[in-house]
Amino acid sequence: MVDELGRWAEPGLLVLASLADGDKHGYAITNDIAEQVGVSLGPGTLYAALSRLEERGLIEGLPAEGRRRPYRLTAAGATELSAQATRMQRLATLSLGRLRLAPA
Amino acid sequence: MTGDPWLVRALLACYPASWRRRYGDEYAQLLCDLRIHRRPRLIVDSLRGALGAALNQGGPLMSNRSPMTTAVWAAGLFTVAGIGFQKLAEDFTGVAGSVYTLLIAAAAVALLALVAAAAPTAVALLRGRDTGAWRYVAVPVLGAAAWYGVLRLALAISHGHGVHSAPNVTGFVLVAVTGIAVVAATAWAAGTVLRRVPADQPTRLRPAALVVLAAGMAVTTAVALVWGLRVQAGDPTAFHGDQGILATPFVPSWIATVVLMAAATVLATIAGRRQLLATR
Repeated sequence: MVDELGRWAEPGLLVLASLADGDKHGYAITNDIAEQVGVSLGPGTLYAALSRLEERGLIEGLPAEGRRRPYRLTAAGATELSAQATRMQRLATLSLGRLRLAPA
Repeated sequence: MTGDPWLVRALLACYPASWRRRYGDEYAQLLCDLRIHRRPRLIVDSLRGALGAALNQGGPLMSNRSPMTTAVWAAGLFTVAGIGFQKLAEDFTGVAGSVYTLLIAAAAVALLALVAAAAPTAVALLRGRDTGAWRYVAVPVLGAAAWYGVLRLALAISHGHGVHSAPNVTGFVLVAVTGIAVVAATAWAAGTVLRRVPADQPTRLRPAALVVLAAGMAVTTAVALVWGLRVQAGDPTAFHGDQGILATPFVPSWIATVVLMAAATVLATIAGRRQLLATR
């Protein structure tokens, strides 16, 4: 379970969630994640996640626009994000339900 | 490029070359966009990313995860440790003689195993599959010639001076540093040839050879440990005296050589494990 929680909290999921909204380059991804989730991803952390996701075929690099390269969520990435989000939603529902049932 | 170009270049240089080829331009742009020179926390994050990228690839000395590259660097480290041990043991001829012979035999088996693992590449090189790779063969030859020149210079500098005198220590440091540099350059050249020359690999030869390499190094390390203990048992005054390298205390020299051998063994074990996993 600790491993699962670690996976959910990892930058890779944040990047997948950001790219689910459309193609973005590195700076746009960090800004999007900071605005939407309040998490500030450093450049080293971001590119470690990007290279890992690209290696696993969950995202793909598009042709560079100047010195910025946009990334796109692949079908496999969308499936992975959906599966992880569903599991997180199930856990959130379970946890909130049980907390409401628990005596104060 | 906005921001501090020197800082961006320095941070980028911390990443492995293969990583830079793929992500270098866009990463440099991101560092500029983030105005990294004003944000120390992001500098630390970039350095952590570089370390992760290096470790993910097996480290800067072992790019692209080649088990043979790791094995070659292990052999380089083992060679340095072996020369150190030989220097340490030269004053103890006859002490722990059988143990010393076993050590030499185990080290020879380890290095022959490395030769066996590299043999298919040597054959491919001789068949001319990559004529450009021949220039790397010159590295150990030129290195050995340079080392011999430094040795002659060191002998000239230290001639007639006491063992702990500045000229003698300078000469020793010159010889040692040059020797280590030559071994490192040779390992680099061998690793490069092993990576770039396309060789036919018999399925079981390389994994078996790398396992034997690691086993030989492990036995050598254990025997070097036993050798020191035998010296202690046979000649306690020598063990606690100044019969280490360059007439320094024996124990630190002995421990240093054993630790270096152990480190080489660990590297060789990693290489063998990777090769076994790759051939499954």
